[in-house]
Amino acid sequence: MRDIYKEIFNPEIIFEKPEALENVRVLELSNVVLGPAASDFLAEFGAEVIKVELPFIGDVMRSVTPGFFLYNNLSPGFEEQNHNKYHVAIDLRKPKGRELIYRLAKKCDVVIENFRPGTTDKWGIGYRQLSKIKPEIIYLALSGFGQWGKNALRVSYDAVAQAESGLMYLTGFPERDPIKCGVWILDFSTSITGAIAVLAALLYRSKTGKGQFIDIAQVETAIRWMDWTWVYVGLTGKNRGRCGNRDFAIVPSNVYRCKDGFVALVAFKEDEFLGLCNAMGREDLKIYLDPLERLKPENADLIDKVIADWVSKLTINELERLADEYGFVTSKVLTPEDVYMSEHFRERKTVWIFEDHLYGELAEVQGVKLSETPGRIKWVARPVGFDNDFVFVKLLGLSKEEIAELEKEGVIGKWGDAKGTQPPDDWDGKKGLFF
Amino acid sequence: MLRELNHQMTGMGKKDCFSEVILMEDYFNWVKSLTNPKDVHDKPEALEGIRVLDVSYGNFAGLFASSILAELGAEVIKIEPPEGDIARKMTPFGILHKGTGLAYIIEGRNKYHITLNLTKEKGRDIYKKLVKKSDVVIESFGFGEAEKLGIGYPQLKEINGKLIYVAISTYGQFGPEAKKGKSDYDLIDQARSTVMSVTGEAEFDPEVPEEYKVPLRMGNWMGWYTGGAWAAYAVLLALYWRNFSGVGQFIDVSPSEALLRHANYNIQYYHEAKKIVPRAGPYDPAVFAYTVVKAKDGHVFIAGYSDPNWKGLTTMINRPDLFEKFPTPRERLIPENQIVMRNEIQNWAESKTSDEILKLAMDHNLDESKVGTVVVGKIYKPKESSKLESWYERDILKKFEDPYFGELLIQGSSFGKMSETPGRVKWCCRPVGADNTYVYTKLLGFDAKKMRELRDEGVI
Repeated sequence: MRDIYKEIFNPEIIFEKPEALENVRVLELSNVVLGPAASDFLAEFGAEVIKVELPFIGDVMRSVTPGFFLYNNLSPGFEEQNHNKYHVAIDLRKPKGRELIYRLAKKCDVVIENFRPGTTDKWGIGYRQLSKIKPEIIYLALSGFGQWGKNALRVSYDAVAQAESGLMYLTGFPERDPIKCGVWILDFSTSITGAIAVLAALLYRSKTGKGQFIDIAQVETAIRWMDWTWVYVGLTGKNRGRCGNRDFAIVPSNVYRCKDGFVALVAFKEDEFLGLCNAMGREDLKIYLDPLERLKPENADLIDKVIADWVSKLTINELERLADEYGFVTSKVLTPEDVYMSEHFRERKTVWIFEDHLYGELAEVQGVKLSETPGRIKWVARPVGFDNDFVFVKLLGLSKEEIAELEKEGVIGKWGDAKGTQPPDDWDGKKGLFF
Repeated sequence: MLRELNHQMTGMGKKDCFSEVILMEDYFNWVKSLTNPKDVHDKPEALEGIRVLDVSYGNFAGLFASSILAELGAEVIKIEPPEGDIARKMTPFGILHKGTGLAYIIEGRNKYHITLNLTKEKGRDIYKKLVKKSDVVIESFGFGEAEKLGIGYPQLKEINGKLIYVAISTYGQFGPEAKKGKSDYDLIDQARSTVMSVTGEAEFDPEVPEEYKVPLRMGNWMGWYTGGAWAAYAVLLALYWRNFSGVGQFIDVSPSEALLRHANYNIQYYHEAKKIVPRAGPYDPAVFAYTVVKAKDGHVFIAGYSDPNWKGLTTMINRPDLFEKFPTPRERLIPENQIVMRNEIQNWAESKTSDEILKLAMDHNLDESKVGTVVVGKIYKPKESSKLESWYERDILKKFEDPYFGELLIQGSSFGKMSETPGRVKWCCRPVGADNTYVYTKLLGFDAKKMRELRDEGVI
C-alpha cells in the first residue's frame, strides 16, 4: 500500500500535473527578502509573478551574497527567493512608471509590497489608489512592525524583529550572549505568513468577489511563533531564558557531541525514553518514565548529563544504529553539504537540480509535496528588466516604439553596471528570453 | 499619534517635517480604520464552512497548522486519545495550568477538543464517519502507521474523494530514508534543516571558547512552527485548487524540509561554490554591518550593510575612517575585517544606552541631509518585551479571559490585520474531551445512551 505514495509523488510526472495557482497573477513591488519570498512561495505553486525592480539597480539582494560570490553573475542571496518570476524594471517614482503600475495592477489579482509603511501610498500606487482601479485586488503589505502603530515608521530587518520580540534572547547558551539565527529566518517565516493570508483572501474572494488589504508584520510573526513564552511569563511573572540546545519543555532533547560530530537526540514519549534507558543500560533512570517528572530541572540536568557522557563514547553511526534498534530519535546535525549529497533529498526533489536556460545547472529547494498540484522550479532569478519586452507586449500590448520611448525616458530599463544585475558574461543575447 | 510622530521626526528638516507628518498621519488613520482590532469580531471569516480534523499527536507542527486554520475561521476538531495528547505535557519545567501544559494552551485556540480511541475498531469507525463530513485531515502518525490501522490516505480517500490529507513527518512519506520515520520532534527538524549547522557562535572568532563553537538551535520551536505554517499553506492551496477541480489531495509535509526552504542560500551556494558558510554569531557572511553589540544596558542589533547605509552608520558613530577603510562589501565580507569593524562599533556602543542608540538612528534616518539608513533593534528579554505597549495596541499580545483557563497572557493572531477577514482568537483551549458531547451529538447524532456506552467501552 505504501507504493501509492511513490506513485502519486512520481517526480517524472510533476510537470504533467496542474498548478494550484495557475490563474493567479501577482504584482511584486518589493525588494530584499521579505516580500520577494512571499511571492516566491506563490510562484512555486503556479502563480504568475511579475517582479518590478528599479531600472539599472534592481533588488538589493543582487549584491548580497556570501563573500561577494557570484555564479554566472547570479547572486545566491537573490536566487534563493526568486523563482519562476518575470523580471521587469520600472521607476515607480516617475508619473509614467506609475501609469504602467496602474495598467499592470488592473490585470493582477494580488499586489505584494514591503516598502516602509505609507511609501507606496505617497507614490500613488498603494492600496488606496489601486483598489479604486481594481476593487477586487488583494494587497499584501509586509513590514517590520505593521502599517500603523507606535513603531510604524521604523525600519526593520529580520534581526530587528528577532531582537525586539524577545526571540533572539531565547537563542544561545544562558551564560553567553544571545545569538541571532544563522539565516534571515523571520524574512521567510513572515513571508509564508503573508502567503497564507493571500490564499485565505483568494478563497474569500472566490466566494464573495471581494478583495482586501492585508497588513503582516515581521515582529508579530516572531511573537506568534514563540510557542509557550507569553503564557509562561503571564502566569509565573518570570522571564523565559535560553538553554543552549536543550528544551525546557521536552526532556531529553539536546544536541550531543559524539566521537565524530554532533547529533540531535530526543526521547520524550514513554516508549522512547524506555528504549533509551535500555540502550544505555540504565535501569535506574526508569523512575523518570513520566515525562512531567523528567521536565523538573534537577531531573532534567541529571538525565542530560548521563546521556552526554554515554554519547561521547559513541560514533554517530553507532548511536544512530542504537536509536533504530531501541526506538528513540536521533539525527546527525546536517550541513548543507550533507543535504545536497543525500539521495533521500534528491529523490524527493527537495534538492531540485535542473538545467536553467540562462545559468546552466542549478540546485534549488522545494519544500512541501502536494500530490495533485505539486510545486515546481521552472527557472530562477533573471537579470534586471530581462522580461520587459515579454510582459509589456504580452500583457499591456505596448508597441516596440512605445517600449523604446519609455526606455529612453528612463521609465523602464534593464540591467546596469553591477555584475549581479546582468546576464552571464557569455550570454548570447537570446538564451532564456521568452520573447 | 500626531504627537508621537512629531516626537519621532524631530531629526527631520523642519520644513519637510510638517507636511510629511500630515501625509503620514492621514495614511495611518486610514489604514488603521481598515484593520482596527476593535472591529475584528464583526467581520466574516475566510474559512467559514471548512471542517478540519487534527489527529496529530505530540506534534506542534500539526497543532500550529490547525491553529492557523482555526484563526482564519475553520471549524477544527482536535482528536486526542482518551488519556489526552502527549503534547499537553510538553511544557516548561513540567508546569501544568488546570491540567494542561502551557504550549498546548496556546495552540488549542478556537478548536473543539474531543477524544477517540483509534486503536479500537469502533473508534476507527467513528473516525471514518467524521472524515466523511470533513474537508481536511492533519496527522503525524509516522511512516505506514495509519495504513496499518486502516485509516491511511488510500482508505479515507475511498470514503471522501474531496478530502485534503496532510501527513506530517520528519523524513516524509517517500524516499530512501522515509522508513526511518519515528516521532517528529522540533529539535530533529532543526538539525536536519541546515539552519542549525549555520547558527551559533562565530567559528572564526578567536575570542569564542572552543566549547561554544557548536551548532545551535533556535530557542523557540522553529522547526515545528515552520512545518505547521507550510502545512497550513498547503491546505489552502489544496482548498483553492479543489474549488476548480472538485478533487482533494495528499500533502506530505516534512517540517525539516520546510525549514530548509527558509535556509537562505545554503544549498544554492554549496552547489555553485562547493562551500559552506561558517557559523557567524554576531557577524554575517553576506551582509555587514549586520551585528549585535553590547550597550550600557543590554544588547542591541545594528545594521548598515549597503554602501550608503554603511556610510550612514560610520557617520552616526563618528568614524568616517571605517568607511574609508572598508568601503565595499568586498572588504566588509572578510571575517577578520568583520571582527575589527564590530569591535569599533562595540567601543562606541558601550557608553550608550540602547534607547540612546535607537534615538540616534531614528534621528539619522529622518534627517534628509544625512546619507543612508541605520537600522537598530533592542534585544529585549521576553519579559521586557511582554510589557511593550505597542504589541497590545496592535493586539498581537493580549490579556485574554478564557472561559475555562481564566486570565492568560497570549499571542493574538498574525492574521489579525486582514481588512475583510481578520484572523482572531475566540477561546484558548479546552480540557481533554470537553467537546465530546457537542461534536458527537451535532455531527453524528449520538444520544446520551450511546455516549455512555462508548465511554464505558473506552472508545471516547
